[in-house]
Amino acid sequence: MRLPERQLAVLEAASATDERTIDEIAAETGLKPETVTGAAFDLRDEGLLSVVETAAETLGLTDEGRRYVDDALPETRLYRAGLALDADEAAVSMGRVIGEAGLDGPEVDIALSNFARKGFGTIDSGELTVDPDADPDADPEAAALAALADGDDPAVDEAVLDQLDSRGLVDRGESVTRAVTLTDDGVDALMTAVETTETVSQVTPELLASGEWRDVEFSEYNVEADAPTTRGGRKHVLRRTADRVKDVLVGMGFQEMEGPHADSDFWINDCLFMPQDHPARTHWDRFALDVPPMEGIPDELMARVEAAHRDGWGEDGDGYHSPWSQEFAREVALRGHTTSLSMRYLSGIAGAELEPPQRYFSVEKVYRNDTLDPTHLLEFFQIEGWVMAEDLSVRDLMGTFEEFYRQFGITDIRFKPHYNPYTEPSFELFGEHPETGEEIEIGNSGVFREEVTGPLGVDCDVMAWGLALERLAMLTTGAEDIRDLHGTLADIEFLRDAEVSY
Amino acid sequence: MPVVDIDTDELRGLTGRTDTSDDEFKQDLFGLGLEFEGETDDGLLQFEFAPDRLDRLSVEGVARSLRYHYGDDRGVYVPETNDPEWTIEVAESVPDERPYVTGAVVRGVDLDEGALDSLIQLQEKLHATMGRGRAKGAIGIHDLAMVKGAPLQEGAEPSITYRGVDPDGDAFVPLDSNDELTPDEVLAEHDTGRTYADLVDDLERYPAIYDELGLFSFPPVINGKRTEVTTGSRELFVELTGTDQWTIDRMCNIICYALSARGATIEEVEVHYADGATAPSEYGAELVRPNLDTDEKSVSHDRIETLLGVDFEPEEVVDCFERAGLDASYTLDEDVTYEVEIPPYRVDVLHPLDLVDDVGRAYGFDNLEPRYPDVGTVGGRHERSRLEDAVRTSLVGLGFEDLLNFHMTSGTENYDRMNLGAGADAFGAGEPVEITEPYSEEYTQLRTWALPSLLMLLERNTHNAYPQDIAEVGFAAERDDREDTNVAERRHVAGAVARRDASYETAKGRLQAVCDDFGAELETPRTEHPSFIDGRTAEVVIDGEPVGVIGEVHPAVLVEHDLEVPVAAFEFHLDALGQ
Repeated sequence: MRLPERQLAVLEAASATDERTIDEIAAETGLKPETVTGAAFDLRDEGLLSVVETAAETLGLTDEGRRYVDDALPETRLYRAGLALDADEAAVSMGRVIGEAGLDGPEVDIALSNFARKGFGTIDSGELTVDPDADPDADPEAAALAALADGDDPAVDEAVLDQLDSRGLVDRGESVTRAVTLTDDGVDALMTAVETTETVSQVTPELLASGEWRDVEFSEYNVEADAPTTRGGRKHVLRRTADRVKDVLVGMGFQEMEGPHADSDFWINDCLFMPQDHPARTHWDRFALDVPPMEGIPDELMARVEAAHRDGWGEDGDGYHSPWSQEFAREVALRGHTTSLSMRYLSGIAGAELEPPQRYFSVEKVYRNDTLDPTHLLEFFQIEGWVMAEDLSVRDLMGTFEEFYRQFGITDIRFKPHYNPYTEPSFELFGEHPETGEEIEIGNSGVFREEVTGPLGVDCDVMAWGLALERLAMLTTGAEDIRDLHGTLADIEFLRDAEVSY
Repeated sequence: MPVVDIDTDELRGLTGRTDTSDDEFKQDLFGLGLEFEGETDDGLLQFEFAPDRLDRLSVEGVARSLRYHYGDDRGVYVPETNDPEWTIEVAESVPDERPYVTGAVVRGVDLDEGALDSLIQLQEKLHATMGRGRAKGAIGIHDLAMVKGAPLQEGAEPSITYRGVDPDGDAFVPLDSNDELTPDEVLAEHDTGRTYADLVDDLERYPAIYDELGLFSFPPVINGKRTEVTTGSRELFVELTGTDQWTIDRMCNIICYALSARGATIEEVEVHYADGATAPSEYGAELVRPNLDTDEKSVSHDRIETLLGVDFEPEEVVDCFERAGLDASYTLDEDVTYEVEIPPYRVDVLHPLDLVDDVGRAYGFDNLEPRYPDVGTVGGRHERSRLEDAVRTSLVGLGFEDLLNFHMTSGTENYDRMNLGAGADAFGAGEPVEITEPYSEEYTQLRTWALPSLLMLLERNTHNAYPQDIAEVGFAAERDDREDTNVAERRHVAGAVARRDASYETAKGRLQAVCDDFGAELETPRTEHPSFIDGRTAEVVIDGEPVGVIGEVHPAVLVEHDLEVPVAAFEFHLDALGQ
């Protein structure tokens, strides 16, 4: 017969005549008690060993119980304080006695209810009288606690124990002791020579090929120990958020746009009906590039956009009373928003002329001269989307954005009427932070003005919205400083440790 | 966004709502789009709002909006004006760069501290917004009692003159000073003068306003002390100068409405542009101001219904217009169209659509039920976006940490610290696209390649555990006159392996794996590149095209980035994998 090493050790340590406990065998074999238990049950299953289980009640003190052993029970302290204030002669205000006893918080109620229960005195109309004949030193509850604290097995009255249990001062548990004896088969097995099976540390090709694996025992590991750190590569946390946004928008029927980061002010601002003297177009807010002006803007389109700025669009339209020059329109700058892409697509210059209905989006980088701080970067990603259709209403806009944000767990969107030079009506979108419940701005939206769509040759409605991806990512990852995420200041550990979102 | 400071006691007085609490006002104003921002040191409440309704830049305008909101006022209100007594003569000498002037006389004003503060605030806020920092329009308000009208001839009406003055010409005592200063001295010595000097200091002649006693205002810089407005002032002369007549006329209207709301009477002034002065062709050379004529625009019932997605009765629409401070009339034809009258303090109504927005706000956008539009379209990713993503997935599978770096950098990082000279015949040494007016030495150009960003990241992370295998699929750009924008924008694939055993082989094995994923044929003929070690550097040639570089990073570059481990790296154009 072949047995694994540890089973053999347990078998040899067991006796046919005396019951031996697991702990005894563990001490003798040097194995861990749980190992011995496992082996004993395996041996029992083979009929070599019998296992007897004995349950016993265990008793111990809770933290609170232990504290009362040191400090005396609250009712006893109340009684003694009462005596000290001569409450055995005349009633004393309860507050004074409590103060004298140094009772505080929940202990006050505990003291008062048990004081009355044990007949240490009476409480009436907020005054306390102690019974001079009461004897807290003879209190069986205190005695039982003291005995348990000493580790004695107290011959405690069951009723007292129940009382202590209901006060949460003792822990009552059950422990199981297992003892083993050799069966006849076990004795027989020991009489005939039992061999140990071989212990190996690793599965090897030879072991598998030879079939030897059937006869070996694999050495045990500490399976709870930490393993060496393994680093896989991971997609950047912001990319993952972007991917999720793209998935959602594609699912909602949106096509992705792409286009230049460096573009003319014409596409970035003039098409958006941003007056050329708008504060956001001063050199402070944009990154103008030191390259020659852009020539490839269709003349007719340029003329229509200029006309919209100077004279307005349509019969009743008024223009801005602002200077406007083609030279400025042709200057090349880094885009401050990806709405320049929307303008290119709506104009047809990015591809085919678009007929309604259409949905388009991008999640791309934009550049703004801002002060770097935990929530602002010079470069960030903008989620941009628009829907082109006949007779779109504000209600369609609200319905679309509600659906989009719902995908990210942001519900109860509020639409606050707002003003943008390029949309009317316009709305700032507010939603509840999924974690903190705080109301935060989560986007800007509106229906493109006719001064925007008209010059581009679009004669139906286009509704659009924009949102910083970082804002969404901070909401969904809990990052507090955007600089940890984005750019060359990034901490590689932060990227490695960021929780995967999906 | 503009901020208006409100004394709520003033607001109670002007709205007649004496029992309304501050919190109730805050709520009502939020409904109008004015968001509570905090309190000033003087206990005024600050509200921020979008820069469309600039007529709300003072407590008087905010009160007017609230009265419409509460339904206490309806429709268009235009204050009565008295006929002109005063004239503003515009002399030929007025600088061409600032040709326009407008104004009004205001009588019967009763300015307590609060009203005076509010007037000064309105003036400053209008300067900051419509006035574009006083460049486009600047307001001067004077105590009329201190202005001595100079009749041009016997029996003529009193007048003041808008004219040019030599920089070292007539001296006057400006506000906040006791010294007589010439205009140039004001620009050099006076705090306000220094602040606004760049608006005028390249003009041959400076703008100035004279009365019989001489120069009393130096727009757009500062007024004279003589005509300073105080709580004792009972009659005011308001003048505005600027680069656009419409803009200063509207600014003037907003001031007149605010003073009228406090019980003052508006009196017109005449403006005469002299023959040689740049007359505003649009309005003629003889004007009567302020121009409080209303505007009219028409909008169809159908457009209001389709844009708001609500069915209305015409009476409901008219009611909304009137609650928005507009008047509307319509004829019951087949297609109902509203003729809408717009008061002269509104600066934001450029198109009938703006009127639909007013109807929406009056109706309450909150009352609209969202609906998902019944419009079918097919969604999809852009091809390049899918390619980028696929390459990123390959790199991550090879154990690279995916990065996202800034596109803006400096020449120092992009070239110098990489041991590279701009314009060198080497990958990454393309001509930079530079930012015209950089705000920071760290961001002066677009990066021409991505490896410098990767090295910077390694430099930042020397305290973290190795290996650090990092990669980026990202943007790079260089100047290229063949492009429409004169900027060639590309996506680059860059990878770096930083670890004790990093070698050319480590990098090439990974590059080979990426190429294999995309069925691309990789060759690596030997080359030289200043960022890499000679003899351990190769060109990346994919499907026969030279598209990048690979090698062991030069120790000079490593030391420059405080690195103490070898780094092997590659970079190439993403397009090479997208055949």
